[in-house]
Amino acid sequence: MSKDRDLLRYSRQIPLLGEAGQERLSSSHVFIAGAGGLGSAVAFYMAAAGFGRITIVDCDSVEMSNLNRQILHGMKDLGRSKAISACESMRELNPVVETEPIIATIEADNIDKLLGDAELIVDALDSFDARFLLNRAANEREIPLFHGAISGFRGQATTVIPGRTACLRCIYPRHPRSTPSPALGSTCGIIGSIQVNEAVKYVGGKGRLLENRLAIWDGLASVLEEVEVDRDPDCPDCGSYRGR
Amino acid sequence: MKVNVVAFANFREILGKEIEVALPAGARLRDLLDLLAKSHLGLHEEVYEPTGALKDTAMIMLNRVNIDSQGGLDAALKEGDELAIFPPFAGG
Repeated sequence: MSKDRDLLRYSRQIPLLGEAGQERLSSSHVFIAGAGGLGSAVAFYMAAAGFGRITIVDCDSVEMSNLNRQILHGMKDLGRSKAISACESMRELNPVVETEPIIATIEADNIDKLLGDAELIVDALDSFDARFLLNRAANEREIPLFHGAISGFRGQATTVIPGRTACLRCIYPRHPRSTPSPALGSTCGIIGSIQVNEAVKYVGGKGRLLENRLAIWDGLASVLEEVEVDRDPDCPDCGSYRGR
Repeated sequence: MKVNVVAFANFREILGKEIEVALPAGARLRDLLDLLAKSHLGLHEEVYEPTGALKDTAMIMLNRVNIDSQGGLDAALKEGDELAIFPPFAGG
Protein backbone atom coordinates (compact mmCIF):
# COMPACT_ATOMS: atom_id res chain seq x y z
CA MET A 1 0.00 0.00 0.00
CA SER A 2 1.56 3.26 -1.02
CA LYS A 3 1.99 6.19 1.32
CA ASP A 4 -0.16 8.31 -1.00
CA ARG A 5 -3.04 5.86 -0.73
CA ASP A 6 -2.65 5.77 3.06
CA LEU A 7 -2.79 9.55 3.17
CA LEU A 8 -5.95 9.46 1.07
CA ARG A 9 -7.54 6.76 3.23
CA TYR A 10 -6.93 8.76 6.39
CA SER A 11 -7.35 12.20 4.83
CA ARG A 12 -10.46 13.04 6.85
CA GLN A 13 -8.88 12.21 10.22
CA ILE A 14 -5.32 13.46 9.67
CA PRO A 15 -6.58 17.02 10.25
CA LEU A 16 -7.56 15.80 13.73
CA LEU A 17 -4.41 13.88 14.57
CA GLY A 18 -1.75 15.29 12.25
CA GLU A 19 0.44 13.03 10.11
CA ALA A 20 2.58 12.29 13.16
CA GLY A 21 -0.49 11.22 15.11
CA GLN A 22 -1.64 9.00 12.26
CA GLU A 23 1.85 7.48 12.13
CA ARG A 24 1.59 6.72 15.84
CA LEU A 25 -1.72 4.94 15.24
CA SER A 26 -0.16 2.99 12.40
CA SER A 27 2.70 1.83 14.60
CA SER A 28 0.49 0.89 17.57
CA HIS A 29 -0.24 -2.67 18.61
CA VAL A 30 -3.62 -3.05 20.23
CA PHE A 31 -5.04 -6.10 21.98
CA ILE A 32 -8.82 -6.50 21.72
CA ALA A 33 -10.18 -8.95 24.28
CA GLY A 34 -13.38 -10.34 22.79
CA ALA A 35 -14.87 -10.48 19.31
CA GLY A 36 -18.52 -10.25 20.34
CA GLY A 37 -20.82 -7.24 20.42
CA LEU A 38 -18.43 -4.69 21.86
CA GLY A 39 -15.51 -6.28 20.02
CA SER A 40 -17.36 -5.82 16.74
CA ALA A 41 -17.68 -2.06 17.11
CA VAL A 42 -14.18 -1.77 18.54
CA ALA A 43 -12.48 -3.89 15.88
CA PHE A 44 -14.21 -2.25 12.92
CA TYR A 45 -13.48 1.29 14.05
CA MET A 46 -9.91 0.51 15.10
CA ALA A 47 -9.17 -1.14 11.77
CA ALA A 48 -10.79 1.70 9.86
CA ALA A 49 -8.84 4.29 11.86
CA GLY A 50 -5.59 2.53 10.98
CA PHE A 51 -4.26 1.06 14.20
CA GLY A 52 -1.28 -0.75 12.73
CA ARG A 53 -1.49 -4.10 14.42
CA ILE A 54 -4.59 -5.59 15.99
CA THR A 55 -4.62 -8.81 17.98
CA ILE A 56 -8.11 -10.08 18.76
CA VAL A 57 -8.84 -12.93 21.12
CA ASP A 58 -12.00 -14.99 21.46
CA CYS A 59 -12.54 -18.65 22.23
CA ASP A 60 -16.05 -18.91 20.79
CA SER A 61 -17.59 -19.74 17.44
CA VAL A 62 -20.26 -17.70 15.74
CA GLU A 63 -23.85 -18.64 16.61
CA MET A 64 -27.13 -17.44 15.13
CA SER A 65 -28.02 -15.68 18.40
CA ASN A 66 -24.90 -13.49 18.03
CA LEU A 67 -25.96 -11.91 14.77
CA ASN A 68 -28.28 -9.25 16.19
CA ARG A 69 -25.24 -7.32 17.38
CA GLN A 70 -21.94 -8.95 16.46
CA ILE A 71 -21.55 -7.23 13.11
CA LEU A 72 -18.06 -8.59 12.47
CA HIS A 73 -19.78 -11.86 11.62
CA GLY A 74 -22.40 -12.88 9.10
CA MET A 75 -24.41 -15.91 8.02
CA LYS A 76 -21.41 -17.37 6.21
CA ASP A 77 -19.49 -17.37 9.49
CA LEU A 78 -21.91 -19.54 11.50
CA GLY A 79 -19.88 -22.19 13.29
CA ARG A 80 -16.56 -20.50 12.48
CA SER A 81 -14.12 -18.99 14.96
CA LYS A 82 -15.06 -15.46 15.96
CA ALA A 83 -11.42 -14.41 16.16
CA ILE A 84 -10.74 -15.57 12.58
CA SER A 85 -13.98 -14.12 11.25
CA ALA A 86 -13.13 -10.83 12.98
CA CYS A 87 -9.74 -10.62 11.33
CA GLU A 88 -11.22 -11.35 7.90
CA SER A 89 -13.75 -8.56 8.38
CA MET A 90 -11.10 -6.11 9.52
CA ARG A 91 -8.81 -6.92 6.61
CA GLU A 92 -11.66 -6.48 4.18
CA LEU A 93 -12.28 -3.03 5.62
CA ASN A 94 -8.62 -2.04 5.78
CA PRO A 95 -6.00 -4.37 4.30
CA VAL A 96 -3.20 -2.11 5.57
CA VAL A 97 -3.85 -3.27 9.13
CA GLU A 98 -1.98 -6.31 10.37
CA THR A 99 -4.39 -8.59 12.19
CA GLU A 100 -3.75 -11.56 14.43
CA PRO A 101 -6.57 -13.87 15.53
CA ILE A 102 -6.12 -15.89 18.70
CA ILE A 103 -8.60 -18.63 19.58
CA ALA A 104 -8.23 -18.86 23.33
CA THR A 105 -9.82 -18.21 26.68
CA ILE A 106 -7.99 -15.51 28.60
CA GLU A 107 -6.70 -17.03 31.81
CA ALA A 108 -4.18 -16.14 34.48
CA ASP A 109 -1.57 -18.52 33.11
CA ASN A 110 -1.77 -17.46 29.45
CA ILE A 111 -2.51 -13.74 29.53
CA ASP A 112 1.12 -12.67 29.37
CA LYS A 113 1.73 -14.74 26.26
CA LEU A 114 -1.52 -13.59 24.64
CA LEU A 115 -0.77 -9.91 25.22
CA GLY A 116 2.69 -10.20 23.71
CA ASP A 117 4.02 -6.71 23.04
CA ALA A 118 0.61 -5.02 22.87
CA GLU A 119 0.69 -1.40 23.96
CA LEU A 120 -3.04 -0.88 24.50
CA ILE A 121 -5.71 -3.23 25.84
CA VAL A 122 -9.37 -2.92 24.91
CA ASP A 123 -11.81 -4.74 27.18
CA ALA A 124 -14.64 -6.17 25.09
CA LEU A 125 -15.25 -9.13 27.36
CA ASP A 126 -18.46 -10.36 28.96
CA SER A 127 -17.30 -11.30 32.45
CA PHE A 128 -15.66 -9.43 35.28
CA ASP A 129 -13.49 -12.40 36.22
CA ALA A 130 -11.67 -12.15 32.89
CA ARG A 131 -11.74 -8.34 33.01
CA PHE A 132 -9.79 -8.40 36.26
CA LEU A 133 -7.06 -10.39 34.51
CA LEU A 134 -6.80 -7.60 31.94
CA ASN A 135 -6.89 -5.02 34.73
CA ARG A 136 -4.04 -6.62 36.61
CA ALA A 137 -1.98 -7.11 33.44
CA ALA A 138 -2.49 -3.48 32.42
CA ASN A 139 -1.36 -2.34 35.87
CA GLU A 140 1.67 -4.61 35.87
CA ARG A 141 2.70 -3.56 32.35
CA GLU A 142 1.73 0.05 32.94
CA ILE A 143 -0.26 0.18 29.70
CA PRO A 144 -3.75 1.65 29.27
CA LEU A 145 -6.93 -0.38 29.54
CA PHE A 146 -10.01 0.87 27.70
CA HIS A 147 -12.94 -0.66 29.57
CA GLY A 148 -16.45 -1.08 28.25
CA ALA A 149 -19.45 -3.20 29.21
CA ILE A 150 -23.12 -3.33 28.30
CA SER A 151 -26.44 -4.71 29.40
CA GLY A 152 -29.53 -4.14 27.32
CA PHE A 153 -29.97 -0.46 26.56
CA ARG A 154 -27.27 0.55 29.03
CA GLY A 155 -23.53 0.45 29.33
CA GLN A 156 -20.41 1.94 30.85
CA ALA A 157 -16.88 2.89 29.85
CA THR A 158 -13.77 4.21 31.50
CA THR A 159 -10.09 4.54 30.71
CA VAL A 160 -7.58 3.08 33.13
CA ILE A 161 -4.14 4.67 33.03
CA PRO A 162 -1.99 2.80 35.55
CA GLY A 163 -0.49 5.07 38.18
CA ARG A 164 -2.86 7.89 37.29
CA THR A 165 -6.39 6.61 37.57
CA ALA A 166 -8.66 4.34 39.49
CA CYS A 167 -8.43 0.83 38.08
CA LEU A 168 -11.36 -1.48 37.39
CA ARG A 169 -11.04 -3.15 40.78
CA CYS A 170 -11.08 0.23 42.54
CA ILE A 171 -14.46 0.91 40.95
CA TYR A 172 -15.84 -2.64 41.11
CA PRO A 173 -14.37 -4.46 44.12
CA ARG A 174 -17.45 -6.66 43.95
CA HIS A 175 -19.04 -7.78 40.75
CA PRO A 176 -22.02 -9.78 39.62
CA ARG A 177 -21.66 -13.36 38.53
CA SER A 178 -21.69 -13.76 34.79
CA THR A 179 -25.14 -14.41 33.45
CA PRO A 180 -26.21 -13.78 29.87
CA SER A 181 -27.65 -10.28 29.79
CA PRO A 182 -29.91 -8.79 27.14
CA ALA A 183 -27.76 -7.28 24.40
CA LEU A 184 -28.51 -4.78 21.68
CA GLY A 185 -26.21 -3.97 18.79
CA SER A 186 -26.68 -0.23 19.05
CA THR A 187 -25.65 -0.24 22.72
CA CYS A 188 -22.52 -2.17 21.79
CA GLY A 189 -21.91 0.37 19.04
CA ILE A 190 -22.16 3.33 21.41
CA ILE A 191 -19.92 1.90 24.13
CA GLY A 192 -17.46 0.34 21.67
CA SER A 193 -17.21 3.64 19.83
CA ILE A 194 -16.42 5.44 23.09
CA GLN A 195 -13.64 2.92 23.76
CA VAL A 196 -12.11 3.49 20.31
CA ASN A 197 -12.49 7.24 20.68
CA GLU A 198 -10.52 7.01 23.91
CA ALA A 199 -7.79 4.88 22.33
CA VAL A 200 -7.45 7.26 19.36
CA LYS A 201 -7.19 10.23 21.74
CA TYR A 202 -4.64 8.40 23.89
CA VAL A 203 -2.37 7.54 20.96
CA GLY A 204 -2.95 10.88 19.26
CA GLY A 205 -2.39 12.84 22.46
CA LYS A 206 -5.69 14.65 22.05
CA GLY A 207 -8.46 15.81 24.34
CA ARG A 208 -9.41 14.71 27.82
CA LEU A 209 -9.60 11.00 28.50
CA LEU A 210 -12.16 9.25 30.69
CA GLU A 211 -9.59 9.27 33.47
CA ASN A 212 -11.12 8.81 36.91
CA ARG A 213 -14.49 9.15 35.22
CA LEU A 214 -16.91 6.32 34.64
CA ALA A 215 -19.21 7.11 31.73
CA ILE A 216 -22.67 5.60 32.08
CA TRP A 217 -24.91 5.40 29.03
CA ASP A 218 -28.63 5.02 29.65
CA GLY A 219 -30.12 4.29 26.27
CA LEU A 220 -33.63 4.13 27.67
CA ALA A 221 -33.37 7.76 28.76
CA SER A 222 -30.86 8.69 26.01
CA VAL A 223 -28.50 10.14 28.60
CA LEU A 224 -24.71 9.88 28.84
CA GLU A 225 -23.36 10.90 32.24
CA GLU A 226 -20.30 10.37 34.36
CA VAL A 227 -19.47 9.26 37.87
CA GLU A 228 -16.24 10.71 39.23
CA VAL A 229 -14.06 8.04 40.82
CA ASP A 230 -10.74 7.95 42.65
CA ARG A 231 -8.13 5.31 43.26
CA ASP A 232 -8.65 3.16 46.29
CA PRO A 233 -5.36 3.33 48.20
CA ASP A 234 -5.99 -0.21 49.45
CA CYS A 235 -6.83 -1.67 46.04
CA PRO A 236 -5.15 -5.08 45.65
CA ASP A 237 -4.52 -4.43 41.94
CA CYS A 238 -3.21 -0.87 41.89
CA GLY A 239 -3.14 0.33 45.51
CA SER A 240 -0.43 2.05 47.47
CA TYR A 241 1.31 -1.23 48.30
CA ARG A 242 2.50 -1.15 44.70
CA GLY A 243 4.52 1.90 45.61
CA ARG A 244 2.77 4.41 43.38
CA MET B 1 -26.33 16.54 58.67
CA LYS B 2 -27.09 16.40 54.98
CA VAL B 3 -25.64 14.14 52.32
CA ASN B 4 -26.25 14.09 48.59
CA VAL B 5 -27.03 10.96 46.58
CA VAL B 6 -26.85 10.78 42.78
CA ALA B 7 -28.45 7.70 41.24
CA PHE B 8 -27.90 6.11 37.83
CA ALA B 9 -29.72 3.65 35.57
CA ASN B 10 -32.10 1.34 37.50
CA PHE B 11 -31.43 3.22 40.74
CA ARG B 12 -32.50 6.45 39.07
CA GLU B 13 -35.84 4.87 38.19
CA ILE B 14 -36.40 4.41 41.94
CA LEU B 15 -34.68 7.43 43.49
CA GLY B 16 -34.76 10.04 40.76
CA LYS B 17 -31.57 11.73 39.57
CA GLU B 18 -30.38 13.33 42.76
CA ILE B 19 -31.63 13.49 46.33
CA GLU B 20 -30.46 15.37 49.40
CA VAL B 21 -31.03 13.45 52.61
CA ALA B 22 -31.01 14.74 56.17
CA LEU B 23 -29.57 12.24 58.65
CA PRO B 24 -28.79 12.29 62.36
CA ALA B 25 -25.17 12.82 63.33
CA GLY B 26 -23.27 9.55 63.41
CA ALA B 27 -25.38 7.94 60.70
CA ARG B 28 -23.88 5.20 58.61
CA LEU B 29 -24.47 4.09 55.03
CA ARG B 30 -26.95 1.45 56.18
CA ASP B 31 -29.01 4.15 57.91
CA LEU B 32 -29.08 6.21 54.73
CA LEU B 33 -30.20 3.27 52.58
CA ASP B 34 -32.82 2.20 55.12
CA LEU B 35 -34.22 5.71 55.31
CA LEU B 36 -34.37 6.01 51.53
CA ALA B 37 -35.95 2.56 51.24
CA LYS B 38 -38.83 3.64 53.47
CA SER B 39 -39.89 6.29 50.99
CA HIS B 40 -38.76 4.66 47.71
CA LEU B 41 -40.51 1.44 46.77
CA GLY B 42 -38.20 -1.21 45.38
CA LEU B 43 -34.94 0.21 46.69
CA HIS B 44 -34.58 -2.33 49.47
CA GLU B 45 -34.76 -5.25 47.01
CA GLU B 46 -32.39 -3.48 44.64
CA VAL B 47 -29.60 -2.94 47.18
CA TYR B 48 -29.92 -5.73 49.74
CA GLU B 49 -29.51 -9.49 49.53
CA PRO B 50 -32.00 -11.49 51.63
CA THR B 51 -29.10 -11.89 54.09
CA GLY B 52 -28.91 -8.12 54.51
CA ALA B 53 -25.60 -7.85 52.68
CA LEU B 54 -25.15 -5.29 49.92
CA LYS B 55 -25.92 -6.76 46.50
CA ASP B 56 -23.10 -7.22 43.99
CA THR B 57 -25.29 -5.31 41.55
CA ALA B 58 -25.20 -2.14 43.66
CA MET B 59 -22.01 -0.09 43.45
CA ILE B 60 -21.85 2.84 45.86
CA MET B 61 -19.13 5.48 45.80
CA LEU B 62 -18.67 7.69 48.85
CA ASN B 63 -16.75 10.82 47.91
CA ARG B 64 -15.53 9.09 44.71
CA VAL B 65 -14.16 5.94 46.43
CA ASN B 66 -16.06 2.64 46.61
CA ILE B 67 -17.63 2.13 50.02
CA ASP B 68 -16.27 -1.42 50.20
CA SER B 69 -12.95 -0.04 51.40
CA GLN B 70 -14.61 2.47 53.71
CA GLY B 71 -16.52 0.07 55.90
CA GLY B 72 -19.26 -1.00 53.49
CA LEU B 73 -22.71 -0.62 55.01
CA ASP B 74 -21.06 0.53 58.23
CA ALA B 75 -19.24 3.40 56.50
CA ALA B 76 -19.61 6.51 58.65
CA LEU B 77 -21.20 9.48 56.89
CA LYS B 78 -20.59 13.16 57.53
CA GLU B 79 -22.04 16.49 56.50
CA GLY B 80 -21.66 17.20 52.80
CA ASP B 81 -20.80 13.65 51.73
CA GLU B 82 -21.42 12.89 48.07
CA LEU B 83 -22.66 9.43 47.16
CA ALA B 84 -23.21 7.82 43.78
CA ILE B 85 -25.11 4.57 43.27
CA PHE B 86 -25.00 2.65 40.02
CA PRO B 87 -25.08 -0.92 38.69
CA PRO B 88 -22.12 -2.77 37.21
CA PHE B 89 -22.94 -3.74 33.65
CA ALA B 90 -21.01 -6.86 32.72
CA GLY B 91 -21.97 -7.90 29.20
CA GLY B 92 -19.93 -7.46 26.06
